[in-house]
Order: sequence, then C-alpha cells, then structure tokens
Amino acid sequence: MFNLALKNILFYKGRSITTLILTFISALMFIVYVSMMDGSHESMLKNALKVYTGSIEIYKKDYRDIGGNEYLITDVQKIEKELDKIEGIDTYTARYETYGLLSSSTQSSASLVAGVEPLKEPSMSQLKVALVEGEFLSPTSGNCLYAGVDLVKKLEAKLGDEISFVGAASDNSFAADLFKLCGTFRTGSFSFDASSAFIARAYFDELMMSHNKASYINIKVHDLNDVDTINTQISAKIDDSIESLTWKTLMKTMVDAMEVDSIFGYITISIFYVVIFFVIMIFGFINVSSRIREFGTLRCIGLSRQKIRTLLFYEIFILSSIAIMIATPIGAYIAYYYSVHPIVIDGMSEMYKDYGIISDEIPFSFNLFTITWNISVVYLLNILSILYPMAFINSFKPVEAAHHV
Amino acid sequence: MKRILLTLSLLSALAFGDEASDIMKRIDDNQRGQNVYMQMSMTITSMGHSRTMKMQSWAKGTKKSFVKTIYPPKDRGITFLSLDNQMWQYIPKIERTIKIPPSMMLQNWMGSDFTNDDVVKQSSIVDDYDAKILKREGKVVTIELIPKEDAAVVWGKIVSQIDTDTYTSQKDIFYDEDGEEVRYFIYDKVKKFGKYYSPTVWKILPSDKKGNSTEIILEEVKYDQEISEQYFRKSALKRFSR
Repeated sequence: MFNLALKNILFYKGRSITTLILTFISALMFIVYVSMMDGSHESMLKNALKVYTGSIEIYKKDYRDIGGNEYLITDVQKIEKELDKIEGIDTYTARYETYGLLSSSTQSSASLVAGVEPLKEPSMSQLKVALVEGEFLSPTSGNCLYAGVDLVKKLEAKLGDEISFVGAASDNSFAADLFKLCGTFRTGSFSFDASSAFIARAYFDELMMSHNKASYINIKVHDLNDVDTINTQISAKIDDSIESLTWKTLMKTMVDAMEVDSIFGYITISIFYVVIFFVIMIFGFINVSSRIREFGTLRCIGLSRQKIRTLLFYEIFILSSIAIMIATPIGAYIAYYYSVHPIVIDGMSEMYKDYGIISDEIPFSFNLFTITWNISVVYLLNILSILYPMAFINSFKPVEAAHHV
Repeated sequence: MKRILLTLSLLSALAFGDEASDIMKRIDDNQRGQNVYMQMSMTITSMGHSRTMKMQSWAKGTKKSFVKTIYPPKDRGITFLSLDNQMWQYIPKIERTIKIPPSMMLQNWMGSDFTNDDVVKQSSIVDDYDAKILKREGKVVTIELIPKEDAAVVWGKIVSQIDTDTYTSQKDIFYDEDGEEVRYFIYDKVKKFGKYYSPTVWKILPSDKKGNSTEIILEEVKYDQEISEQYFRKSALKRFSR
C-alpha cells in the first residue's frame, strides 16, 4: 500500500506539489510566527523583571490594594532569617517606598521615592546599569538622589542641584528633607523613568523612621522555573498577615496582555491555517474525484474500504512528512538564529514604550517543545483534511465507481 | 389629575432643592463668617498610636486661608497658604516654599485623614454640589449632595445630617464615584461664637482603615475680626513661619 501511495504521489504531480508547498509554508510560518510571538513575550517579561520587579515579592496583605504606612512589613529581619534558609533564592533586598513631592527650585513632581540597599540593588535590578550621568548610590552616599532622566527633565534639574522632598514618614508624621541629585538613570520604561527616584536606605530610614520596615521584600531566584516551588516554601514560613507573590501575580496586567496577544496571534495563524487546510482538502478532494474509476477498479479487484483509507492516509502522510521534514529544520534554524541575533527595529521601543517595550530588539524564542507541537498541529490538520475525500470515495459501490465517468 | 400631581411633586422637589441649598449656605456661613481665626489641636491616630499637632488658621471668605503649625517642635513653623484653589507650603527645615501640584491634592494633609484637597476646596460644597433633602427627623435634616456635571470634585456623593437649630452638621459621609463609603466626619460640642454656631470637635474616620482617626478640637475661635491681607500673600509663608 505504501508503494502504491508513493507511485500515486509521483503520478499526480500537480496535487502533490501543491500539497507539499502549502504544508511547507504552513509549517514554516507556524514555527517562525510562534517563535517570534513567544520571544517577544519572554523579552517583555525579562525586561520588566530586570528593571525593578522581582521574581518573588513579599508584602503585608492589602499593601498592594490599599497601600499606606499601615500596611508596611514591620519586622524585616525576621523574614530575612527565614529566607536565608530557603534554597534556590539568589538574593533578596528590602525596599522602602513612599510617594512624595520632589521639588527643584522651579518645578515640582509627585514621585515614587524609594530607599534601596545600594550594595544589593545591582544584582536585583537594572538600576545601576541604567546609569546615564553621575553615579549610582552607595551605603555612604547620604542624601544623594538617583532619579530617572524624565523625572529630572520635569524638575528642570541638573547634577548637583538640591531637590527637596516632602512626604509622610513611616509613622505618618510629616517628613521633609533636601536631597542632592547625584545620578540619573534611564531604564527605557518612560513611566518608571518619569516618576521614580532612589536614595540609600541607611539615610532614608533616618528620615522616614523606617528601620526594620519595608514596603516589600524583593527576591531573585536562581532559576525562574522554580519560582512557584520557592514561593510555596516562603509562604509556609511567613505568618498569615504577610503574602508572598510571584511575578505572575505581580505583573498580572502584563501577563494578561501577553495572553490576549497570544490568543489574537493564534487566531490570526488559525485563520491562515484554516484557509490552507481547506485548500489542501479541496485539492485532495479534486484528486480523489478524478480517480473514482481507479478506486472503483481497485475495490473490484479486492481492495477493502479500509485499504483505500490506508492508501489515502499514506499519500497525505508521505506528502506532509516530506514538507515538514524540509520546513522544520529551516524554521528551527530561523528561530534559533533570531533568538541569538534578534531583529532590531530602530525606534520601536520609543513607539511602544507605553506597552512595556523597552528595547528595539525582537528576539525569537527557540524551544524544541514548541516546535514539536507546532509541527504536530500541522500534521494533524493535514491528516484531517483527507477524511472527507476518504468518506467521499468510500461512499461509492465498487461497480458504480468502476463505471464512473 | 396626574398632571396636577406631577406638577405638585416637581414643585415640592424644587422647593426642597432650594431649601437644601439654603441650608448648606447657612452652614457654610456658620463655618466661615466674614472671616475667621482659629487655634486648634489635631490628634491623629494611626497604627495604634496617636500624635497631636497644634495649628493656627486665618481664613477670609472662601478663597483665602493661611495655616501655621505651632506644635510639635519638629513641625513648628510649617505654613500653608491656599488662594483660589491653589496651595503652597513652606517648610522651615529645608527653607523651601513648595507649590502643591494637582497630582498631590488627594494626598494626606500633614499625615492626617484630611487631604490637601479638603484644605483648598473649601467652597466646593456649596458651589460644586446639588443639594437634595433626603429626610427630616425633628430638627435633623439629611441632605444628599451630588456633584454638578462639570464640577471638578473628588467625591461621588456626600450625605450630611444637619441640625437646623444651629445650622451645623452632625455627620458627613463621603462616597467615592462608585458609591463606596470612603470616610465620615462626626461633629460634636456645638458652641456659639457671636452670631455663629460651630462644632468644636470634628472627628474624621476613614472607612477602609479601622482604628485610624483624626480629631480636631477648636480651642479658640474668633469670627469677623480684622485679619491682615498680609497673611494671604506668598511672602507670608516664610514671614509668619517664625
């Protein structure tokens, strides 16, 4: 049956070539498109996690929903002792954040002002490498302020300028101080760069009376794939008033946006593939229709319906396999190449900065599992496309088919 | 018959609307007079502990007010000036006068449950809201205040219980735009100062932060006495800070 299928493929060249080309294009596009979509999402996520958000963060319950000093973590050291016992945690840092008014001599802006640990922060976030001008914070940098370039622009300030801060201390009392602008950073995220400033915790804690307090504890794990396991361990060790959240919850908006984007991506590729599916099916059907007498003769000389089905299955299986065997290495190579050398579109990050895009690069994702399920889908749909022609040809009685004109 | 009933109900609604607005105006007059000087203490309770501040305030009409912190020593000399819905603050510790931007208007004022907007938008209750009487129970009238269409206000609704003997509020409940209760004010110990009545104890309780409160006690109130215009200039922030 297999040999007969091969002969048929070679004999009906038009149908074979069309099926081969369509299957090849579908498989190649599917692999490349999904690779690009997944790569963009992974890149967005990585960039977002690199900038400031941790893979796990520990909060007092309701801090994220209600906020305010009433929902600060009040015994940071106790939690840090527990974190030291958990394997898989790379490092952690306690941040104290508040919203206050920063003012230069001419302009004011409501901003996030965060006390950070200058020695730990570089391994947790992109803050230090995002330095544009001046210097990053150090444990002894005192009242040095490290601010986003767009915030500095709003304040019309320059390095060395005094920036006043007015806000509420951790006990809700009034807090005000004069900071000195020592450094500016650009992460590429406009909203972050336009509304964030940092100061060494040692100094900020004195002003805000926030010793051993934190808005949250930011945790970096060795392997992002272990984040759920580590989070479960942390949750078991902290009391009920505290919650430990992974990036999936912390960046829910982005995760949801990526899911919606993926759904639309799959809908787009599905529409494309439905067209291809019907074209393959129609070509298969036309081919089978033109071979009714041939099938009738085969049935008359003793071939069962099952054998006819097997013959048609072999035909589509061979054609699909050839197309996929050519498309898969090419698609995989493209995915791999662009995962290592991302496509660069100048100005893209500027255009899409509001959507969290902070890089001009579009990296692809090279994942063998994804490629496998992509080609499996193409295989499956190709095989499904022959079901109707199979049913059609088997609906004829052998003699009727043999005399069909 | 239906038309007559409809006309009567419309007329009574209009009459109640006018009466409600009139009540709100009389409350506003009671609170402000021509001008008013107050010395007050403000006790803020949050996170299980309390702290007290003392302040002096000078206000003229609905557009001008000046506040000076006199206690505790740490905050002494911090001054606030509000003019025509704008607000400035002077902080002696850093010797800076800062204009509070619109984005900060919903921030807490001096760590209390007041917002900067409460301090600045002193006239908005009368100007920006439509008043309607909800019910009467003896001398107490409950009035609902709904923002006018084009009013730039924070609250979605305010419900006030008014004592019509003294034209002072007993309780104000503030709701957000979704109709959720956000906070309420309770007023107590109404005293007469000349021809004006004013509650001398105000308590603010945020609905979402149990245990938090801000209590203001008016220690000294003087209505309709001459207040120098110098208090309502930006130079006053630093000058009267000392």
